[in-house]
This record gives sequence, C-alpha cells and structure tokens, in this order.
Amino acid sequence: MRNTLRFLKALLTTNLKASIALRGAFLMQATFMLLNNLIFFVMWWVFFDRFEEVRGWRVEDMLAMYGMVAASFGMFVVFGAGARDLTRVIIEGDLDSFLGQPKSPLLQVVCARSQASGWGDIVSGLLMIAWSGYMGVGAVVPALIGMTCGAVVLLASTVLIHCSAFWLGNNDDLNRAASEFLVLFSVYPKTVFSGALKFALFTILPAGFISFLPVETLRAPSFMGVAAVVGGAVLYAGLAVGVFRAGLRRYESGNRFGVRA
Amino acid sequence: MKYWAILGIAARQALAARGGLLGRLLFFWALMTIFSQLWIAVGPEYAVNYTWYLGITELVALGVPQIYIGIEQDVRRGDIAYRIGRPISYVGSKIVEGAGEFAVRFAVLATFGMAGTWLLCGQLPAEPWSLAFAIPLAFMAGLLMLILQALIGLSAFWLQDAAPVYWIVQKLLFIFGGLMIPLSVYPGWLHDIADATPFSAMLYGCGRLVLDFDPALAVDTAWRLAAWAVLLLGLLILVYRRSLTALTVNGG
Amino acid sequence: MSIEVENLRKVFQVREGSRGLGGSLRGLIRPQRREVVAVDGLSFSIAAGERVAFVGPNGAGKSTTIKMLTGILHPTSGSIRVLGLEPSRERKQLAYKVGTVFGQRTQLWYHLPARDTFDLLRYVYDLDGDTYARRRDELVEMFAIGDLISKPVRQLSLGERMRCEIVASLLPAPSVLFLDEPTIGLDVTAKATLRDLIHQLSVRDGSTVLLTSHDTGDMERVCDRVIVINHGAPLLDEPVAELRTHYIRRKVVTLMTADATVEVDLPGVTTTSHVPHRTVLEVDVEQTPVEAVVQAAMRATRLRDLTVEDPPMEEIVQAIYAQAGSKP
Repeated sequence: MRNTLRFLKALLTTNLKASIALRGAFLMQATFMLLNNLIFFVMWWVFFDRFEEVRGWRVEDMLAMYGMVAASFGMFVVFGAGARDLTRVIIEGDLDSFLGQPKSPLLQVVCARSQASGWGDIVSGLLMIAWSGYMGVGAVVPALIGMTCGAVVLLASTVLIHCSAFWLGNNDDLNRAASEFLVLFSVYPKTVFSGALKFALFTILPAGFISFLPVETLRAPSFMGVAAVVGGAVLYAGLAVGVFRAGLRRYESGNRFGVRA
Repeated sequence: MKYWAILGIAARQALAARGGLLGRLLFFWALMTIFSQLWIAVGPEYAVNYTWYLGITELVALGVPQIYIGIEQDVRRGDIAYRIGRPISYVGSKIVEGAGEFAVRFAVLATFGMAGTWLLCGQLPAEPWSLAFAIPLAFMAGLLMLILQALIGLSAFWLQDAAPVYWIVQKLLFIFGGLMIPLSVYPGWLHDIADATPFSAMLYGCGRLVLDFDPALAVDTAWRLAAWAVLLLGLLILVYRRSLTALTVNGG
Repeated sequence: MSIEVENLRKVFQVREGSRGLGGSLRGLIRPQRREVVAVDGLSFSIAAGERVAFVGPNGAGKSTTIKMLTGILHPTSGSIRVLGLEPSRERKQLAYKVGTVFGQRTQLWYHLPARDTFDLLRYVYDLDGDTYARRRDELVEMFAIGDLISKPVRQLSLGERMRCEIVASLLPAPSVLFLDEPTIGLDVTAKATLRDLIHQLSVRDGSTVLLTSHDTGDMERVCDRVIVINHGAPLLDEPVAELRTHYIRRKVVTLMTADATVEVDLPGVTTTSHVPHRTVLEVDVEQTPVEAVVQAAMRATRLRDLTVEDPPMEEIVQAIYAQAGSKP
C-alpha cells in the first residue's frame, strides 16, 4: 500500500511537470479558462439581477454551485485528464505498455495527462465560492471534501463511459460527448428540476453527486452531508475500478470488438 | 465554380457523420429541456417566449462547426505556406467548407431541434411567422461566426494555442449576444456595450423576433449582420495577408 | 529454465460488425464470429542467459506470442511458465522481473527529459534510492545517453529514443528482456549500435533475451539461437550458426582484379555482379569448393583483393520458408 502511494505521488508529480513543460501554452490555457468561466457567469449575474430568485435559488447559491463544480472539474482535469483519452488508449492497444508494468494500469492511463486549463477552473471556482459568501469557517473542510469527491465522481463517470470501448469498440466521439453531458446537467439550479428528471440526475447522470450534494457541504455543512458525498464518491470509484477490471479481462482474452490478430 | 464543389463535399460529409449530428441534436434538446424548466419556474409569462428565444439563439451557438481547429492545424503544419499568392483561396475554401457542414447541422437543428422546442413549449411563439424570419437570419449569423472562427484559427500564427481564444470569443458571444436572456432584459449600459459588438446582431437580433415580432426589426438585424460581415471579412483579409508576409519573412 | 512454453495456442474470435453505436449494439446482441488462429501449437524452452530470436513475416504470430509471455494476452490453450510464474495469472509479480520494449510504443513521457521517466520508473518498480541511482548511472554510461537524458524526449532522434527506451526497461535489472521489433525504423548505424549494446548487456548480466523481428540482422548480431515461425506454427528452432550450414550451401566471393574482367568457368559458379576490376561470384560449394574457385581466378589474373562471405541472412530465411512450402 505504501509503495502504491509513493508511486501515485511520483506519477502525479511527473504529470504536472509534463504539463508545465510547455510554459507558454500552460499559462495561456490557465488564464484564459479563468476568464472564460468568469465571463460566462455574467449570464447568471444578469439573470439574477433581473429575477432575483427562482424557487428559493439566489445568485449566491448559483455562485456556490458553479464554483464547486468548476473547482471539482478543474481538479479532475489537472490530475486525471488521461481518463478522457481512455477510448483511444484501449482501441489503439496503448494499454499494453501499462500492462507490462507492476502498477495499476488504470491509474497510469488516468494520470498520463494534465490539462492546464484546469488550474483556471480551480481558481475561478474558488473565487466564485468566496463571492457566494457561503464560505464560513465551519464550511472550509466539508467544502474541500465535497469538492474532491465531486472530482472523483466526475473522473469515475468519465472512466465508466469510456470503458464501453472494451465491449462496443470505437465510439470515441460519442463517449466524449456523453462526458460533456455529465457536466452540462450538473450546473443548473436543482430546485428547477421536476421529480423524474431529478431522479435521473442522481442515478444515470450523477449530477447529484457532482454538484447538488457537494454544494450542500458548502451551503449547509453537516456530518450527514459529508458522509453522503464521500459515500457517493467511493461508490462511483468502486464501480469504475470494477468495470475497468472486467473490461481488462476481456482485453486480455484478446476478443475485443474487431481486434486485429 | 469550385467553391460549389467544396460546399457539396462538405455537406455530404456532414450528412454521413450521423453520429455527430445526432449528438448535437441531443445536446440541443438537453439544453432546451433544462431551460424550459427554468423559465417555467421563473414565471408563466416567460415560459413559452423565452424558451423559443433560446431555441433560436442556440441554432447559432450549437450549429456552427469549429473550423478554427482545422485552420490552426494547417497553420502549425505550415501547409498555408504553399497557398501564397491567392490569399482569398485558402481561407475562402475553409469558410465555404464550414458553411457546407453548417448548412447540414443547421438543417437538422432547425427542423428536429425546433420540433422538440415546440413539444416542450406546447405551442408556437406568439407570432408563428416570426420563425420564418428568425431562422434564416440565424443562418446568416452562423456564417458570420465562421468568419470569426477563421480569424481565431489564424491567431495560431502568433499564439501558442488558438483554443483559449475561441473559448473567450464564444463566451463573449453568449454574453453580448444574449444567449439565454434577451438583451432587452439586461441593464442598459450592458446592452449598449453589447450593441457595439457583432454578437448582439448574431443572437439577440434573431431571437428578439420571436418575442415581439416586427418586420422592421428583421430588416435591421439583416443589415447589421451584413455590415459586420463586410467589416470582419476585410479584417480577415488583412490579417491573412499579414500572416503570410510574416511567414515569408521568417521562413515559417 | 527461464521460459517454458508448451503447445501454445491462441485463437482470436473476431467479431465483425458495422460502425457506429447501432452497429456496435447489433454486434453485441447477434455477433458474427470469425476465428483467426494466430498461434498454433508452439513449444520451446529457453534457459537463463540465452538470447533467442523469434523470426517470421508479418502476421506470423510473433507479437501475439510475446504478449502471452508477458501476460498481456491470455492463451487459448497450452502452458507458459516464465521464471516459474504463469504470466496470465501472475502478471504483476512477473512484471517486476521482466522488461519489455515494444518498438512502436513508448513508455517515455514525450515532453519531459528521459531522466524524469527514469525517476518515475523507480517508484513503479519499488526500487530503493541507492540501487536505482547506481543502476541508472551504469546503464546511462553503457548506452552513452548521458547528454540525451536531460533533453525533452520529443527532441531526440528515433535511434536516441530507442536507447533511452531500452535503458528504461532495464532499470529494474530484469532477468528476462522481451524486445518486440526494437530496431524498426532505425538507420543502419543506429541498428548496429543498439544490437551490440543489447548483446553486451545480456552477456554481462546473464539476462535472457527474447527478441522478435522480421529483420534478420537483429537475429544475427544479438542472438545465438533462432526460432522461425510462420502462420503461428514453428518452422525451425536452431542455433544461428547452424542455420547457414543447413540451409545454404552458397558462398559469395568478391574478387578485385588487375584485369578489367575475369571469368571462372566452373560448375556451380555464377557471376552475380560485375564492374571493371570487381567481380562478385556466387559459388555452390556442393559443386565446387571455394578453394578451386580462388585458384582458378589466380590463374586467370592477378588478384588485388579477395573476400569470401556468407550470403545475406534474408536469403537463408527465404529458403526456409520456401522449404516449408509457404510464401512469407
């Protein structure tokens, strides 16, 4: 276990080093993404400036939710952007070089890339959370946990979507689009959705675990809230690892879809 | 003329990529579903109108293909160096290509996408004929966006990465175009700033027709779009010529 | 025994299907299967320290075999034991002791210097600081990559990158080294350098080398033994040296002569190339010994220089395929 943690630390360090290696691109992506998110939020600022409140949801709540999701998403792509390439890695057989090594291939694929724009997401997210006014002292730790768990669920869901490649072959574009949907449904006021849709958002599309529950750790921190968020993250992570392993068994039998002998 | 040939090929390719078209349509429907719920929650007087408004603006926002990516790649690979001497040709062909793809995507969204919007709203906009004006204008606006994208793609000559520029331009389009909320609802000063940009004509100019139809407004939008098109095309030619001289001086 | 393979068989069930999600789903529910036999009854044993080449044309089953030996692929039937472990079941354990280099894949991080990848590999293989540093410095010196490892990998030539690639796989001091097309795409000098280094290292460390290639030069310069396979089945398993004597009875004699031309009219002797003062003859030694050819040449003219060589290995391998009645 200790060896795995040391390895993970070395892997993440190497990943970040590679990200900074192209300095110009790194700075540009990070700063522009920060600007991007702030400009986008003006839309909601205008909305709440005009309408003040919709079903109990105010601009502070929107800031809190948007900030949390942005920070979670940023963490996801800074540390684990490799997950988004999983379909390609599986189809092109790039998993082979990872399988030849005595450490988890999933970790290695996921942490093989870092997207610099994620830092812009993180900073803009933190700024928005600060602006929301919800960041009381008692909320710092629960919010950080909530943020991290949101990132884990995003990562796990992306892995799950891309694992379809083990059975259904090359649907890279579709898988990437589906991953975008994940985030899309996570950034809208929860009170707006009616029953059936809300149910779907907690199960099929884990928006509930990406934004709704994590936001509560910030707005109204509680032990149960944190437990729920952590529980969700563990559940999704476990599912992702399990499905990946199953896919790997299939990959190793060599009978993946349309394999070239 | 060869531009027609390019248009045809691009359109045919877009038709063949059915997965991509379906994906875009689903995305459109997803956005419409979310926002129709939002507007219903805000109030019954907004539910129908503002949802239709969004339907029009999203035709532009979602329909336009990201041609800047292809142009950026060509710039980085140095392929453009071979097309010196006929400056309109390369960029022109890229835009025409994009127009072909856009035409197909737009057709899918304007039919199936709009049908979905109709289902969600339960009725047509207050003045149904407004659609007959709004939709073609949205197509025009999309063409303008293609010109903008060409400019963004060419920025790769000077910048490390064109994608971040695209993100910002797209967000400015959303904000100053009034993607979700009509500019008329914006604070006055912000509306004024928006009108100084092409974005206001591109989104709000088209969408406002379904809110309160007036043929004069349609004409106003049309001429604004045309004026911006001329301006931006001029800028594009200038930038393209400048980038080519930079290429020949520095040797790529 | 380092590696023991018995009756190894790999059959792929290829599911044909149409593209797109609809096609994929249809393929999942009602699959159309086709069987491809990639490896058919392969058996061999390799002792520790042996260097064996796995030679065969494209599609012969070489890469598939290597993948099964490393546990990346599960065999359909037959048994494999590498260093006493069963690859498909004990893959991670085996990975600590086995190094693999795939010619067309890289484990080096592209934008970083190779040194950074090496530092990461230390933690992949759980090496302690001193062991790692010592081993790394040793290998860097041996492969002469000292000034290369601080440059980003993307700035290296293919030959330089392959040397770093191999050093990376040698860091954990593996007992067995699998090389899959290691010299593919390299120029002549780079190939020669790489082959010599691998050979030297194996001799020094006593590590077993299994190399697949369709370049017979790899076979000659690195290995002592060759297994030839085609269509997934073994054709031949012999020491490299014996390959020549068993399969070819021709020698190539190059004559540099004082006269512009020379003619040697003996049975089994053909002139394969001729430019003024330089004649290349091919001699079938079953019909005429080389000695007789040289004497005849000396009687006809004055010899400035003389070379007697074996024909290129390519020919030998072609002959093997031809004998087996199959075309590569």
